[in-house]
Amino acid sequence: MLSSSSSGGSLRRWAPWVLIVAASIILPAVLPPFRLNLLGRFLSLGIVALGVDLIWGYTGLLSLGQGIFFALGGYAIGMHLSLNSLEPGQLPEFFGLYGVKELPAFWQPFASPLFTLVALWTIPALVAGVLGYLVFRNRIKGVYFSILTQAALLVFFNFFNGQQRLINGTNGLKTDTARLFGELVGSDAMQRNLFWLTVLLVVAAWLLCRWLTRGRFGDALVAIRDDEPRMRFTGYNPTAYKTLVFTVAGALAGISGALYTVQSGIVSPQYMAVPFSIEMVIWVAVGGRGTLIGAVLGAVLINYARSLISEQLPETWLFVQGALFLLVVTGLPDGLVGWWRQGGLQHLLAMLGRAPRASTYPGLDLDPSVQAEKSSFLSHPPGGEP
Amino acid sequence: MTALLELRGVTVSFDGFRALNDLNLSLQPGDLRAVIGPNGAGKTTFLDVITGKVRPSEGQVLFRGRSLVGISEHRIARLGIGRKFQTPRVYENLTVRRNLELAVSRRSPFALLFGRLDGSAQDRVQHLLRVVGLDPQAQQLAGGLAHGQKQWLEIAMLLAQDPDLLLVDEPVAGLSDEETDRTGQLLRSLAGDHTVIVIEHDMEFIRNLDSPVTVLHEGHVLCEGAMDTVQKDPRVIEVYLGVDDDHQPQP
Ligand SMILES: Nc1ncnc2c1ncn2[C@@H]1O[C@H](COP(=O)(O)OP(=O)(O)OP(=O)(O)O)[C@@H](O)[C@H]1O
Ligand SMILES: [Mg+2]
Repeated sequence: MLSSSSSGGSLRRWAPWVLIVAASIILPAVLPPFRLNLLGRFLSLGIVALGVDLIWGYTGLLSLGQGIFFALGGYAIGMHLSLNSLEPGQLPEFFGLYGVKELPAFWQPFASPLFTLVALWTIPALVAGVLGYLVFRNRIKGVYFSILTQAALLVFFNFFNGQQRLINGTNGLKTDTARLFGELVGSDAMQRNLFWLTVLLVVAAWLLCRWLTRGRFGDALVAIRDDEPRMRFTGYNPTAYKTLVFTVAGALAGISGALYTVQSGIVSPQYMAVPFSIEMVIWVAVGGRGTLIGAVLGAVLINYARSLISEQLPETWLFVQGALFLLVVTGLPDGLVGWWRQGGLQHLLAMLGRAPRASTYPGLDLDPSVQAEKSSFLSHPPGGEP
Repeated sequence: MTALLELRGVTVSFDGFRALNDLNLSLQPGDLRAVIGPNGAGKTTFLDVITGKVRPSEGQVLFRGRSLVGISEHRIARLGIGRKFQTPRVYENLTVRRNLELAVSRRSPFALLFGRLDGSAQDRVQHLLRVVGLDPQAQQLAGGLAHGQKQWLEIAMLLAQDPDLLLVDEPVAGLSDEETDRTGQLLRSLAGDHTVIVIEHDMEFIRNLDSPVTVLHEGHVLCEGAMDTVQKDPRVIEVYLGVDDDHQPQP
């Protein structure tokens, strides 16, 4: 009995992974390029979701501004791709529209691929680190933290929108027609490679988050989430921990934004739109906050559902998303993965009459003496007769 | 010999209400001191002002001659001041063992990420689990413990921290008589190597501690001395003991 229950437990644990590995092997072979590209984009959103889970699920910091870091990563790669296929002396096309004759100084380092690869996660990490440090040092938390991150998001959104002469404002930067290693970024072959790269980086990001959350460092995050003052009185400085995880989440958002950009062909200030950053939180809530795999699954499933539903019935998606969120908040507080791990599927099947009602000790149902007692109990309930 | 802890004329006011009012108190290293006083006397605030949770509006708090005023809570804790809260506060979503591991660990994020818990720290965790009898529950989430077990886990966490000064707020509230006795023995055995301040409402427990008693009333030290002398003091009888002779532990 012991072995069967523990293998049931590990099945519950590993099933999501089996699903993911199988999917990432089979899907590239069977999906048409358009669908595969969608999947790649949504997987890359799984990376920003991992960051949200790290800061919100584990540390209790509900940031509504992760779009800032996501967009910064996207702009870093977007700027590089705008520059890397130019003839010497040429400028990206949009500069001509605004009469800009010389490449702004901050663009120049992005001509280097190496610089860009480092910048696309260090710049968001740095911005997150500084912002986080100032906020956490002043002990801003809870709702105030959420409002503040959203305000910061709006500031960035408006700034990027207004800067036509620097970064093409509202229009953003297009990446599809740029070339990478001599191949068009928008080509099927390149997109397939980017899909694989995304899969690799999702796994890497997951491993990083797992390393951060599994040991005593992760315990400290949970302790800060649950009782920050107590941590202080034990000699821990929560500011250091929060700043660190917020920085890591910023870096993850940057990588996610860069991967998303090259797979959607554009980066624009829309990545810093308020609803998008709120949706990131919804993915994690639906997938299962505090479970890393839940964050990735939530991002992929919700976005895939959105694209399927929007194709059929464009207006209904917002309602579906709202309903899903409400359902999870009220019915599955630990999200889909939490529900799955607690044996939710068995309960559901039992409710539908497909499987024997879950009993805590299956062995009891097989034990004849217990059964005999049960049936005698049922026919003569104690205290049943006066 | 300089005092380990000294409060000089400490006043704490919340919007004009003086929770502590010109409080003076001094402790030598190794002292065990009981603090009693009616509800709202300022006992918890007294610990808050030492641990940096509230800032005195007047007066000085000195630890080994060094002022603690304006120093942040985690730095004060690192100076060697540990605290147990009035209502047990443990990290409910961590196992009992992991609660203790956090208490014995070095405090920096990088130490937690890259360092492993060394053998002596692991031994200490194991030892403390046995001392407070939570060995069988080591792998359980602390949130699932009974009230008394949480109290003891928190005491174990305080010990794991190994502070020089232990501030213990109502350690036996909700404990059985036997557990209360054992807690008393534990605290007495700590005195000498450690300096301990115990706040309690349970008079029987305080009497068994057999230590000097400080009576707080309206944020001020009413009197100090052995339990027997204090109990005979007419002022104390008036404000505290006289009201309710066999004072029961707080629910
Ligand atoms: N943050 C605060 N703001 C306003 N008033 C406070 C605050 N903290 C404590 N007080 C008040 O200060 C007084 C002393 O409170 P304190 O908690 O120190 O009492 P206590 O002696 O620990 O009482 P008890 O035995 O009930 O634990 C109380 O009247 C309380 O209402
Ligand atoms: Mg109190």
